[in-house]
Amino acid sequence: MARWGMVIDQSKCVGCWTCAVGCKAINDEPLGYWWNRVLTTEPDSSAQVAAPATPAVDVPHGTYPNLELAYLPLACQHCNDAPCEKVCPVGATFRRDDGLILIDYERCIGCRYCVAACPYGVRIFNWGPAKREPDFVIGYGEEYRTGGRLVFEPVRPVGIVEKCTLCVERVDANEQPFCVDVCPVGARVFGDLDDPKSEVSVLVNDEGAEQLLAELGTNPNVYYLPSSHPSKVSD
Amino acid sequence: MPKIRRRTFLKGVAGGVGLAALSTPSFRLLEAAAAGKSKPQGSRDQTFRTGHSNNCDGSCGHLVHVRDGRVRLIEGAPWDDTTVSGAQAPDYHARICLRGISQIQNTYSPDRIRYPYKRIGPRGSGRWQRITWGEATSTIAQKFQEIQQKYGKTAIWIPPYTGSLSVLEGVIGAGYRFASVIGASGGDFEGDNEGDSATPAGFNYVLVDPTNPANGGGFLDGHEFTDFMNSKVIFLWANNLAETSIPDWRTVMAARKNGTKVVALDPRFTPTSASADVWVPIRPGTDPALVDGMIRDILQRNMINEDYLRSYSVAPFLVREDTKLFLREKDVTPGGSDAYMVMDKDGSLKAVTDPNLKQARLYAATTVGKMRVRTALQALRDAMEPYTPEYVAKITDVKPEMVTQLAELYAQANPAAIKCGFGLSHWYRGDLTYQAMLTMAALTGNIGVHGGGVTTYSGALLTTAYDLGDWLFPDGKSYTYLPPMQACDAMLKNDPYPVRAAWFVVDNYAQQMSDKNKVRKALESLDFLVVSDYVMSATADLADIVLPSCTYLEKTDLLGSGNYYLQYMPKVIEPLWESKSDLDQFTMVARKMGYGKYFDKTPDEYITQILRIGQKDADATVAGLTWDQLKNGAPHLNTATVPYVPFFNKQFPTKSGRIEFYVELLVPYDQELCGYKEPIEATPSNPLYKKYPLVFLSTHTRFRTHSQYTHLPWLDEINNQGQGFLEINPRDARARGIADGAVVRVFNDRGEMKVHARYTEGIKPGVVNCYQGGWDTVRVKQYVEGHPNNLTHQIANPAQSIIPNFRSNAAYYDCLCQVEPVGV
Repeated sequence: MARWGMVIDQSKCVGCWTCAVGCKAINDEPLGYWWNRVLTTEPDSSAQVAAPATPAVDVPHGTYPNLELAYLPLACQHCNDAPCEKVCPVGATFRRDDGLILIDYERCIGCRYCVAACPYGVRIFNWGPAKREPDFVIGYGEEYRTGGRLVFEPVRPVGIVEKCTLCVERVDANEQPFCVDVCPVGARVFGDLDDPKSEVSVLVNDEGAEQLLAELGTNPNVYYLPSSHPSKVSD
Repeated sequence: MPKIRRRTFLKGVAGGVGLAALSTPSFRLLEAAAAGKSKPQGSRDQTFRTGHSNNCDGSCGHLVHVRDGRVRLIEGAPWDDTTVSGAQAPDYHARICLRGISQIQNTYSPDRIRYPYKRIGPRGSGRWQRITWGEATSTIAQKFQEIQQKYGKTAIWIPPYTGSLSVLEGVIGAGYRFASVIGASGGDFEGDNEGDSATPAGFNYVLVDPTNPANGGGFLDGHEFTDFMNSKVIFLWANNLAETSIPDWRTVMAARKNGTKVVALDPRFTPTSASADVWVPIRPGTDPALVDGMIRDILQRNMINEDYLRSYSVAPFLVREDTKLFLREKDVTPGGSDAYMVMDKDGSLKAVTDPNLKQARLYAATTVGKMRVRTALQALRDAMEPYTPEYVAKITDVKPEMVTQLAELYAQANPAAIKCGFGLSHWYRGDLTYQAMLTMAALTGNIGVHGGGVTTYSGALLTTAYDLGDWLFPDGKSYTYLPPMQACDAMLKNDPYPVRAAWFVVDNYAQQMSDKNKVRKALESLDFLVVSDYVMSATADLADIVLPSCTYLEKTDLLGSGNYYLQYMPKVIEPLWESKSDLDQFTMVARKMGYGKYFDKTPDEYITQILRIGQKDADATVAGLTWDQLKNGAPHLNTATVPYVPFFNKQFPTKSGRIEFYVELLVPYDQELCGYKEPIEATPSNPLYKKYPLVFLSTHTRFRTHSQYTHLPWLDEINNQGQGFLEINPRDARARGIADGAVVRVFNDRGEMKVHARYTEGIKPGVVNCYQGGWDTVRVKQYVEGHPNNLTHQIANPAQSIIPNFRSNAAYYDCLCQVEPVGV
């Protein structure tokens, strides 16, 4: 059994949001909803210090010309010890043996305990009827079940919580999550963390990829290679 | 290891985008499982490979998934790993960005023009009446005929349409064929004179003889992007590559992993500046001065490639001081030839063709009779003498020691590449910047070598790969060239001749051309205006007839731009609503005007003709191409070297056959060498600077390509909810009493706009920036009032008139302004 994980290289990430827009498309996320976002942050803060996102996209830190700018793509971290799973009173949020944290849409009662429990702020509640453009079904476009449980459908019911599934339907079909496929700069690597030879394992074990908020003990399967922007010779 | 406090982190998250759902305060009754479900319908899926042609030089390949006739997903498509003739092609990754994925929203956008309309209110009133295609095309044919009879054939202008880079419907597309056939005026062939021509102009001064018709009016091809893997240093000069051509950043990062240094020169701290090894925060518009400083240093420290200069450049050629022209044998010997003269190592003068020439001197000055002469390299060294690091620092705000560091970094890396964006073109002296950079590239032997060069546009070979003669000029019929910079005067003042009607095709001239107030006046003065577009643009707002065009997914075409691959563009979905391809639109009107015989082929037949598929006389770059190859992949062109490098054989199509960093044609403009000249407006020595002390930039963002994708919910949600903003340094803002987010008035003598201020330290004090391309239409206003082009001008650079295809463009960034809080 694999343990699926992802490493995001922040020194390659240029904050383009292609992963987030790709996520919207493949999952047909309604207008205003983002399973995956890109925070504007500072380099070297990355995994250790996820500094507040600046109010505006792309606004750097510092004083001209001594500036710093980096990005933190953020979606479900697929924790091995997931607070969202623990607090779910009905067992709707569950961890598959391969590490994917999924939501059973048929069980979710919309209590939103999980939204409050998630330290990464990546769960979204469907408050009302969704608005979409275009107004027909796009993306994967079919319902998807794993072990009989409904974990994806193109139009999610009102009153349930949704979030990144790590593209479970693609992973099960031996494809990569869509954000990994479309990342224009190749900043995302997907693979089996239990295979010591996999690229993700090498990045975690040898290259210093780190978990976000590791001290909380959530033990995510998503790792970040901190931004290593060179110091500028400019001034 | 620093620890994060959870509260801080969550604050950060809430400051991000798109959490409206989370922060909604009210609870509602749950309606679990209320929404409908979609059944799996995999068997109804089809996948198409096409090229993304929407005026982005990236020219990504798109893999488009279609279900039940509707697009459901777009992702990057693979490239062939061989050339047309089967040789190994570069390793090129499937590529796409947020704009490409968003094409699904663009294609089905509520802003699409669905039917033909005629205007029933005053121009710009937004009042339309739906009409049939029959009525629309009959009206156009009749009006065009009337106007041509009354004012002459050229009184109709079919302008450049740069919203697409494809062959049949783009910048070399059917509109030009139509203009030629009816004898109308046409925009520029292949170049984008609205904003891009200064760059290729500089290229053509130095590397091409633009007066030779064999050169087709000029070249613009740069190094294939994957060639930058071979560079030891890459100067990203005014090129925010990581934001505007995002997939190319993969190559830059791969090169950097190999040890390549990356230098970013930009007055703004962009994602590119942030990721570079060296960031040079230069004063905008002073780039030629920095290059001159680097050239001086390279010459002073003798970091030149002497053998290269002697063999491939005009460096040893003697130049007369009186006429400033090259000394020819006939100037020295009565009855002599036109051969260029050089000084041999023994001091004797010889024709460069003289078999007894041992080694021409690179530096020399002497007199011949009464004529004082010196070598071109000597002339360059003399001309560069004033550009000491200190002097350059004063002009550019780049520190003196940085000037010499950059010179060293460039000259000692072998090879060294310069990659520019089109930002440099948006300056009145953009041509000079390019001329200077190519001079520096020649000095160091960086032209025609892998990993070197000066590149803006990584693609095309349009002038050679395609047989465009019959396509653009059937039966030798030709349109009359009227560049966009002259069109307003033709409409307003009959200068150089009257233009009374125009047909814009996916070209948002009314908003994207500089000096918008002048443009609007000119367009409103027309007797008849037709606009074909897929969205209701600012230009369409002013039309008499509006026609619905197809997007790139609804028609058949060919994309050969932006890289060195051929990308067939099949019709992926049926045209939406009543939209038609541009080719079909021109065909309908041409038939009604009696020119149907020139529009009697299918797109595939035209493509066969243009690529000479199956013909023995096809160009070497496409020789052997089959329809099978074209329809089943994306083959790389047959190029002399892979990745493609321009002038790899060191044969330069100049008069001398060498790199002419000394440009005889520019003597009348006092620009034969690349000495610095100030910007026409945005420079401190301009008296206007006291009144308007801020340089006004209107740069590109990843969320748009010019005015395309501008009003798409996915992208607007990330990009300030679609509201335009003015980037201003807090120092400049506070000095003017402007709060972050406040509405400000940005103005100069030509016009004004109102927009929200955004504090950012990412912009140089003294410079402000408002991303261009936001919509200012009847229905959609993305700035509080107006548009950046209300402030820009149409001052043309006369030097560029020597390059037929690349006459002066609009110097959008060479613009001054003042900013004040609204209400003051």
